[in-house]
Amino acid sequence: MARIDITGDALVITLEGLDVLWALKKRLTIPLAHVRGATPDPGIVRGFKGVRTKGTNMPGVIVAGTFRTGEGRIFWNVRDAAKAVVIELADEEYTRLVIEAPDPRATADRIERARTPA
Amino acid sequence: MGRPRGFDERLAVAAAAELFAGRSYDGTSVDDLVSATGVHRGSLYKTFGSKRGLYLAALRHHVDQDVTRIAQSADPARALLGSGGEELGFLLLAAAERAAVDDEVAAEVGRALDLLDAALRPAGADPARAADLTAALLGLLLRARAQPGRATGATLLVSQ
Repeated sequence: MARIDITGDALVITLEGLDVLWALKKRLTIPLAHVRGATPDPGIVRGFKGVRTKGTNMPGVIVAGTFRTGEGRIFWNVRDAAKAVVIELADEEYTRLVIEAPDPRATADRIERARTPA
Repeated sequence: MGRPRGFDERLAVAAAAELFAGRSYDGTSVDDLVSATGVHRGSLYKTFGSKRGLYLAALRHHVDQDVTRIAQSADPARALLGSGGEELGFLLLAAAERAAVDDEVAAEVGRALDLLDAALRPAGADPARAADLTAALLGLLLRARAQPGRATGATLLVSQ
């Protein structure tokens, strides 16, 4: 599970507990202007993720770390597919974040409302 | 951005509009959108940013196509009622489901209502009358979903 905060004009994602170990990352700070949108998407976990370059992929247990795809680098931190939220980015190290949030729909709505229209 | 998408964005948006019109915003998953549009999940995210981004594009498409077609027809009031609510189903659903909680949806629904107001306003008539007429006609479409044929709008159109 990740904590997702909106502080000023940035989206701050903080990984908690052992997730830091699996994903090899503690915090991501993204300017809201670089956030293109957020979507609750339980189905994404079943799909092709790309080539893992850093982190952990135990199918059915946890997907955590950095995956390289034709579209760019994607950061994953998901145990429970039902709670997956997809955050699409621009001009960032990662092109997309797939993270787990306690209430995916409310989290996605909160990010959509906060982001600066491109 | 001028870069080829690898899929027909217009067709994808039209397919999404049909899906959202039938299943609502909350009732449509990204899995549903991937199946209905035939576009890869990653491409949907890359192009539209989010499900909401695609929803807004779909609603804009609906207003530009379906609402505009009715507004530009020779007899907009009859065209609107004649559609039986099918053609404007997405507009009605967006107004009920999303307009109160999403400013960009409210703006797009407002644009549709303005188009209908302008089309329905008799020459020289009070703009408030056109707004009331649009509201009444859309209300008839809603009513027809539960009681088809019970209220036909005949009294509204006669008194025009």
